[in-house]
This record gives sequence, structure tokens and C-alpha cells, in this order.
Amino acid sequence: MSKTLIVELGCEELPAGSVKPMSTALASTLSAALQSAKLLAVDTAPTAYATPRRIAVSVPAVAAQQADQTQTRTGPAVSAAFGEDGAPTPAALGFARSCGVDIEALDRVTDKGGERLAHTFTQHGQSLEDWLKDALPGLIDNLPMPKRMRWADGDAAFLRPVQWLCVVYGDTPLRVDALGLSSDEHSRGHRFHAPAALAISQADAYADTLREQGHVEPEFDCRCDDIRTQVQALADELGGTPVLPDALVEECAALVEKPVAIAGRFDDAFLSVPKEVLIQTMQDDQRYFALLDSRGELMPAFITISNIASRNPETVRQGNERVIRPRLADAKFFWDQDSQTPLGSHVSSLKSVVFQKQLGTLHDKTERLVRLSRFVSGEIEADQVLTERAARLSKCDLMTQTVYEFPAMQGIAGRYLIHNEGESAAVADALEQQYHPKQAGDETADGIIAQVLAIADKADTLAGIFAIGQKPTGAKDPFGLRRAALGLLRTLIERRIELDLAELFAAAADGLRAQLDDSTRAMDALPYTLERLRSYYTDQGIDSVIVDAVMACNITKPIDFDRRVHAVASFLTLPESDALAAANKRCRNILKKSNSQPSDVDPSLFTEAAEQALGDAIESTRGQVDAHLASSDYNSALQSLAALREPVDSFFDHVMVNTDDDTVRANRLALLAQLSTLCSEVADLSELSR
Amino acid sequence: MTADAPARQDIRTFQGMIATLQDYWSKQGCIVQQPYDMEVGAGTFHTSTFLRAIGPEPWHACHTQASRRPTDGRYGENPNRLQHYYQFQVVMKPSPPDMQALFLGSLAALDFDPLEHDVRFVEDNWESPTLGAWGLGWEVWLNGMEVTQYTYFQQCGGLECKPVLGELAYGIERLAMYIQNVESVYDLVWAHTPNGPITYGDVFHQNEVEQSAYNFEHADVDELFHHFDACEKACQTLLELDTPLPLPAYEHVLSASHAFNLLDARHAISVTERQRYILRVRTLARGVAEAYAASRERLGHPLLRRHRTEASS
Repeated sequence: MSKTLIVELGCEELPAGSVKPMSTALASTLSAALQSAKLLAVDTAPTAYATPRRIAVSVPAVAAQQADQTQTRTGPAVSAAFGEDGAPTPAALGFARSCGVDIEALDRVTDKGGERLAHTFTQHGQSLEDWLKDALPGLIDNLPMPKRMRWADGDAAFLRPVQWLCVVYGDTPLRVDALGLSSDEHSRGHRFHAPAALAISQADAYADTLREQGHVEPEFDCRCDDIRTQVQALADELGGTPVLPDALVEECAALVEKPVAIAGRFDDAFLSVPKEVLIQTMQDDQRYFALLDSRGELMPAFITISNIASRNPETVRQGNERVIRPRLADAKFFWDQDSQTPLGSHVSSLKSVVFQKQLGTLHDKTERLVRLSRFVSGEIEADQVLTERAARLSKCDLMTQTVYEFPAMQGIAGRYLIHNEGESAAVADALEQQYHPKQAGDETADGIIAQVLAIADKADTLAGIFAIGQKPTGAKDPFGLRRAALGLLRTLIERRIELDLAELFAAAADGLRAQLDDSTRAMDALPYTLERLRSYYTDQGIDSVIVDAVMACNITKPIDFDRRVHAVASFLTLPESDALAAANKRCRNILKKSNSQPSDVDPSLFTEAAEQALGDAIESTRGQVDAHLASSDYNSALQSLAALREPVDSFFDHVMVNTDDDTVRANRLALLAQLSTLCSEVADLSELSR
Repeated sequence: MTADAPARQDIRTFQGMIATLQDYWSKQGCIVQQPYDMEVGAGTFHTSTFLRAIGPEPWHACHTQASRRPTDGRYGENPNRLQHYYQFQVVMKPSPPDMQALFLGSLAALDFDPLEHDVRFVEDNWESPTLGAWGLGWEVWLNGMEVTQYTYFQQCGGLECKPVLGELAYGIERLAMYIQNVESVYDLVWAHTPNGPITYGDVFHQNEVEQSAYNFEHADVDELFHHFDACEKACQTLLELDTPLPLPAYEHVLSASHAFNLLDARHAISVTERQRYILRVRTLARGVAEAYAASRERLGHPLLRRHRTEASS
């Protein structure tokens, strides 16, 4: 017979970020432990419940009792158990004693060590309650917690103080002790709507009891859905579209047990502040949902998720409107101040802010960016005047009060301010997009001026930090070099920009000499950045052997690297590719062992037809490959190589490379060396052989 | 209110609200203490919190405390920001199991009906780098407004807090502005008098104007640096005595800490130096905490003894 088990741990309000992870962890560890204790009748999924005040799990089909088990314990060998007179030896008596029985009661079993004394007994299964008494405290203690705390004068430690423990099996409350609490059948409803203890008379009715009598929606995802629905409905009434980031919905769901959406308004005058600032204020400070109108402009309204079906919702609305007003007023004050100062006038004050001690101030960095932008725009034929202007203004918004108060507005504030001064969209956008991509999955900079600045900014940071020997170690990456390197690669590859990283870092290193006597270590940024290509491609599902094969060619121009990776990927779909890769590997091994110096091939020394055929094939393929390489047509170059497969296989079938004739041998090695070179032009095909 | 109920304070005045909180918490077993008579950055600096959080002795107290935050001065022009404002501080050690409920009771005493207002506990982990103290808890939201910091102290002056002290720090100007429904702190009614209402502005506006000018323009930077060093030295000397004097030493920590805050307002401390000054104050605070713990031990933890005697009688 099996029934549902419910375990609920009541807490003072848990940190929002832990509510869901804690409950899913409890659900999976409790059901796994029940399973291994053979207390699960059938393998059914547990249900996790999570609110700010409780983590709970319902496990269906739990057995009330572990089955009894017959167990056998083996002792000394019979030969060692009795003396010649048949009397039991001390070893035998000791075993019997340890089993708690007389020597006569012992059985005998035979295993590969021969016949042994044995004690067979019935291990009585534990009741579910006894098992929980032993297991539950440890399971709770092992839940993932960012930081534990103590409270009152006890030793118990948990994420927040605990308040109650409710354990019900079928219709029976179980008594378990954990964290200084003793369990019974009592849960609690909503703190204000249902403050009395709430009896769970049936484990299966847990969720419904909480919903109907407790005014609590215990399922996290149900609250998320509810929040989305309510926010959408209010937004519809207001004629807007809500900004509904998943993270904000989940945070709100973790802050309330009974979500009730309430809309409020703020003064139109605040709309003169960039919407990003207002949205950030609403989301980060107040967990409000912002609303956009049909043109994508911010509406002077917000939606908050309260935890109460208020007797007077107007009170909650007015209260929230009171709170947001001074916050928005602060933002507007800073913005209005900033708007009165031309952005460019901040250039000289950049001298007062240190970028990095050895690498100088933000002003020094700006000078380097101007210089490096000039190099990049020259390489990729961008407008020199606009790129230089964007570079010169690039860090000015860091001096504004808006960015000081709202650091996430860096770049965005600059774009608005310079746009309002009548600057071109290309320069204004560059100020924002120099920081793109901000995180994985974000778009890279999309205008060419923005791309130049984004490239220069990332290259300068990478080169500079490497030049002073502070490359990232382990998880420590205070300057965000991993992100900068990946962002640089993504910009160059995804925007199809023909720029060589070796030249870029050399130019950056050159610029660093204004601050550093010796900037040679800046070039260490090159291999570091190229190394990021591995994760860039494996994240896209491209086999790492392909990346390794291209890596072997020491390509330093990311866009070229990318063409080769995709050419190799499609080459691998050709039927000839495996054999050719294998032959190449074999060829490489032979060359490695021979230690011979490469030399020219002399066709007159060919003695075998297969040798001649391979020589001819290499020669004609070389011509084709060179032509394709000249136009960076790596697909065609690799396809041409496919024609080598048959002559190569035939060569290895019919020709003995290591003949006694040294001249012929050297000539054959030279032929293989040519083959190997040819097969390493686009990528090292020998790497593809597994 | 029924006719025979005891006369209630008028919570719609600043002083009535404070009196109501004091009355409520005294009924919960807290002694009503008075503010510390030195400049401090927060109620936590009062010995009633910082030192009483240390060691095994129980402690239950409440009091207002003026907080001085020189950098927050706005010359009396910002309706929400002040360089001198009040916190209402409640400390309970060990933290009672129903402390949340007691706190909600205090909101009810201020006439906040929890079925009308949206009250929420939002994670907020508190740390004071200068005091070497940290705790976990919440900011309490009332209709989206942070009205109270609620913290379970875990460490103080680098020492484990055992038992744990629970601390409530009410932002009373904010609460009063909400209750009185005014937009500017200066419009708060402090009290109704026979000569008409006295406002918060009447009491403090001139002070905000003058102190802001002092903090930002006139505080003598050289003298403050000197004062900081002198306080540090005095504190160290008092702690190195054969019988250390942690309480006077602590006042020098407070004084050094305030000098640091003033220097900060004068932009006299660079970003890199800032850390170093914070560390110097923390080192002093740690020394005081250890000396205080030792001194209470030498005295035989009198409050603990009395607590036990009463519990057993």
C-alpha cells in the first residue's frame, strides 16, 4: 500500500533567488533518497512547491514501511572454526557473540574461499516515519544555500529562520525533528489572509488546501503564469504592452504568495529622461513592470505585484506611486543636469579618473582609442572623421551624474546626450554600441563606426591588461577579458570584418607605449583571444576537431578562420574526407619518423605507376587549390583535395616508402611532404582523423 | 477606540509616532534607551547594538538615534535627503522566535492594517565594513516603500554573535511622511502646540543648510586627518592598558569614523585610500569588540546571571 507524502518546511521570507532552486533540490533529493531506501512503490515524479515562506515537496506512491530483508553475514572458515577435538575456536565463538547467537545457531555457506560459518537473519525494514527521522535533517542541511545564518540562541543554521515543519503521509501526520522544529500536520496560510495554523488532513489535498483555505498559490510556475496574465490584463486596460523579462516575473513570484497586480501612474514630465533609465529604476529598485505604447515609447505607468488582496487597493496604488516619484525625480534631476553640459566638455575631466594605475586615466585610454580607431578605420575603410569623433567622445558619459547613479547606463546616456546635441546617428549609436555585445546572445555593434569603436575598445583593454601581466587566472577576471575577447571575435566574424588580430594587437601595443616603456607582452592577448574561438564554435555545435584542424594553420584573421571552419565542416560531409584524413595522418607519421629534410620531387625517380599517379594528381590539384586559395574559396579548395583520395590510397597500397634505395626513398618522402603541405593549406586535415 | 481605552499618542505627529513605537516596544520587554550622544552614521553604532550584540548576555532595548551622513546633505533643498535624520532602533537578543510578528504588531500600532497595506520582506543582507559586522535579513516594504531594515546579526567586530541579536531600524521620517501624507520631510508636523503646529522644517531646516555648508565647504581637512590619527592612537592606547577601557576606546572609533565621513564629503580621500581608512576603523572596532567581550567576561556576564536566576525562580 502506498500513499502520498508531503514535507513542508516553513520559513521566514527566503531570499528571492533561492526560493525555486531550494524547492526543486528538496524534491529531487528527497525522492532519490526514498527511492534508494526502497520506499517508493512506483517511480513517479515528485511535485515541488515554493513560496517565499515555504519549500515543500509532494511525493506520490510512498510506502509506509520498508520490506523486511533476509541478510547473511559470513564469519570464519569452517576449517578455522573448530579444533581437532571439534570444539569451537575463539574465532568462531567471537563471531557467534558478535552476531548475538549461540554457536549452534550458525549456518554454513560455501563461497570461493570454501565453507564458512554464517549467520542468517531478518533485517526488519524501517517505517517511513523512522526513516524520515534519520534522513530528513541531512537532506534539509544539504540543500543549496548561498549563505547560512543562525538565529535566537540555537545552533541551527539555515537560509533564514525556520518556523514550522509539516509532514503528512496520506491522512497521517508524521513526527520528525529537524532544525529545532517538530513536525505535525499544520501548515500556515497567507501571513495576513489566513494567519491561523492550517491543518493538512490529506497529503494529496496539500496544494488545494493552501489555495482554498490558505490564500496561497504554492506552485512557483503557477504564480509566474498568474503574474504574466494579470500584468497583461492590466496593460491591456491601459492600452500598453508590458515589458515582461522572465527574470523579473520569477523574482516577483518569489516575493509573493498571492500575486495581485496593481497599476500606478507617474508624471509625464519624467518621460524626458531616457526610457532605459526609467525602466531600470522601475525594475531594479521597485520590481515594477514598465509599459510601452504602440510606438515602443515608455508610458507614464507601471504595474506592481502586491502580496495582498487589499481591502482598499487604492492605498497600495497610491503608496507605490509615492515611492516611485522621488526615485524618478532623482533620475530626472541628474539627467537634466547632464543635459545642460555638452558631452564633449567632459573630455578633460577624464584625466581625473584612473582606468588602471599603470595604463593611465580614462583620458589616456581615450587618446589610445582615437589612435587605434584610426588604424582600424584605415584597415576596413570606415569614415576617419566620424570614427575619430566617436572615439574622442566614447568615455565622456562616464563623467555624467546619470551614469554615476545608474552604471548600466554607460554608453546609453552618451548616445542620448550627443543625439540631443544634434550629432549624427552613426556617432551617437557608436557611443552605445562600443560596449556591444554586452553578454552572450546579445547583438554585436551594427554600424561601421560603432564596429570600429567596439573593436578598438576591446582590443585596447585586452592588450593593455596583458601588457601589465594581469591576464585572467581561474575564475578571476576583474577586467572582463573573456567577455571582451569573445565580443571582439564575434564582432569581427559576425559582421564579416576583414581584420587581422595580429595586426590589431600590434597596433594596440604600439599605442600603449604612451603609458608603458615595454608593451611587448600585449601580444599575449593574441593567443588568448584566439583560444576563445574553441568555445565560440563548440557552443554552436561545431566539432572541436574542426576547430583544432584550423587552429593548426595559425590563422590570426577571425573572418578567415571562420570561412575555413565552415569549409572543413562541409568537407567532412564528403565521402572521401575520412579516408583522406586517415591517409594524411599516416603520411604525417611517416614523415615524422623519417626525419628527412624536405626536398623537391624528381618525377624521373618514380618507379611505380601509383607513385607517378600520385605525383600527377598532386601537381594538378596544387594548381586548383592555389587558385581557390587566392580567392579564399576554401570550400572549393577542399573539394579539389577530394580528388587525391584514390591516388593516395593506391600509393599506400602499392608503394613501399622505405626502400633500400636512399634516393628513391628520399624522393618518395618528398612526395608525401608535398601531399601533406597541400592537405594543410585550409586546415590540417590530419587532425580530422580519429 | 473605546471610551475607556488609554489615551493614545497622536501618530500623525512625528513625536507621537516615536512615542507610540517606544510604548509598543517597551511593552514587548525592551528598555527605552536614549540616543548615543556622539555623531554616528547609523543606529547600529550605538553601544546598545554594536557592543550588546557581543557575548552571551541577553539585551532588549529601543531608542531613537540621529544618523549623520555628511555626504547626504542637500542644503535643505531636497525633500527626501538629509545629512542628519533619525532611525528608531530596536534590538532583541536572543532574537525571539516571533520577532517578525512583533514587528508587524508595531506597524499595527501605527494603524497600518495589514489587510489593506502591502507588507513584504525583501532580502537585504547588511554589512558594515567599518564595524566588521554583518547580518542577514530584509528591507521591509510597505506598499513598495522601504520602511525598516531587519537584520539578524551574525558577526560583530569580527566576533560570532551567539546568541543572535535581531535588529530593527525604522526610517522614521519616511514612515511619518507616509502617515502624514506629505511630500517633503520639512512639512512633517513634529507636534501640535498651543501656538500652532511645529514642523520638522522648523526644527531642522536651518541645521540642514548650515551643516551641509560645513560638511561640504568648511570642514577643516587637515584638522580632520589629524583628528583621525589622534583618535586611532588614543583608541589603541586605551586598548593596550593593563585593564583595557573598551567603552572610551569605542568613542574614539566613533569619532574617527565620523572624521572619515566628513573627509569623504570633502572629497579628500581618493578611491584607493578609502579602503585603507575603512580598514583602519575596522581594525579599531575589532580591537574594541574583543576587549569588550573580555571585560564582560571578567565581570561574570552579570545580565546572563540575573537572567538565569529569574528564569529559575
